Amino acid sequence: MQPDFKSSTHLHVIRLALTIAGVLVAGILLRQALLPAGYGTSGRYRPGAELDEANRTVRNLANDACLACHPLIRKLHLAGTHATVSCEICHGPGVDHVQDGKLAGAMPTVAGDVIGPVCLRCHGQVARLRPLDSIRMVSASDHLTGHRVRADNDCDQCHHVHAPMKWVREAREMVGLAAEPEGGRPWTN
Amino acid sequence: MDELERIREEIDLDRRRFVKKVLGGVIGGSLLLVLPAGAVKVAQQISGLAAGTDPVDPDRKFAFVIDITGCIGCGYCCVADKNEFQVPDGYYRTWVERYVIDDQDNVHVDAPRGGLDGYATARLDIPHPVRDTFFVPKLCNMCEKPSCVQVCPVGATFRTADGFVLIDRQRCLGCSYCVQACPYSVRFIGPESRVAEKCTWCYHRLAQGLRPACVEACPVQARKFGDLNDRESEVYRLLHEPNVISVLKPEMGNEPSLHYLGLRREVV
Repeated sequence: MQPDFKSSTHLHVIRLALTIAGVLVAGILLRQALLPAGYGTSGRYRPGAELDEANRTVRNLANDACLACHPLIRKLHLAGTHATVSCEICHGPGVDHVQDGKLAGAMPTVAGDVIGPVCLRCHGQVARLRPLDSIRMVSASDHLTGHRVRADNDCDQCHHVHAPMKWVREAREMVGLAAEPEGGRPWTN
Repeated sequence: MDELERIREEIDLDRRRFVKKVLGGVIGGSLLLVLPAGAVKVAQQISGLAAGTDPVDPDRKFAFVIDITGCIGCGYCCVADKNEFQVPDGYYRTWVERYVIDDQDNVHVDAPRGGLDGYATARLDIPHPVRDTFFVPKLCNMCEKPSCVQVCPVGATFRTADGFVLIDRQRCLGCSYCVQACPYSVRFIGPESRVAEKCTWCYHRLAQGLRPACVEACPVQARKFGDLNDRESEVYRLLHEPNVISVLKPEMGNEPSLHYLGLRREVV
């Protein structure tokens, strides 16, 4: 004869149901305690997290902002071949210069004997290092001897940093030299 | 007598000071009338985005394109990035790698200081003649299926409806699971903040209608950024015309939104 397993009180079922319900409630409470308010309303993140990121301070103000207050430089810079060069790569981030519409500090300028490395970062022709059809590349020493100028000349003695060919062009016109052929000469020197 | 002399001098000095102040005020005041006053106006570079608007716009699909054939390795993008985010020394949100391939087809890659100082000198440690050299700028790939978001245990890194993968700096625990999960190694734990940090494609600049700082700084326009839903944009044109376009590590299945123009086999 089989033993009777049937319980008359169903206590084991109730105990199981209570345990599951307890775990569920605890889980929901824990989730609510741990998740930030409104989580999931705009995506799987705390609402406002993207605004926190968007409210970071803009430190590089871009050329238009710089040139709005410097009309002379604007005229020079935009007319020359350096029109696409950002002001802030040589002068530092604009936020150090203007804050709340007020002058916050002077910006560094690069000139004289420290200018070479700055120019050559883009224009320095190092053996097969850069695409040759991009911008004009020069090997500093060959460039200076090729133009028969002193070997210790600084770049900005012949080239205005904002409009690099301005003085060169003016000098050519003054002495009646023909302009360079279209596309320049092969910049091997 | 002496006392009188002193008082007279004092009055003279005061008079001088007074005249100076009045003159300064007059000149300054008239300058204010002539010069445009007010805060520096930030010019809009990306159409339709203005300061104060909700930056998340699901109608936009931003893409970043880097022209490998154009990059000259000046490293000014890295400088602009460091300035924009005040990135601590030794950590990089974006960097530029130099690839040198010799005539034996060996590939030599280096990135001293992440390209912050540019590449002014050639590599001298390569025994064979150099066949080719090029630069590969790296930054966040803004994956459509970002593995960093998947592994974050607290939902601190997330993808917005317009496709930006960002970090909630309040919620991040600094567990660095995401740093390991990123196939492109763009993440790091900030040494001071102790939370995960990475390139955001300058989300905060975008909210002001400005282009990313590195795009702004690039003198040869090798970095291009724009909205793919805007058919006039350069990135739309580049990605929809017959160009050699590729992404990094496509086999990872992350589907990056960062595309490279003219990327080489050696890099992928």
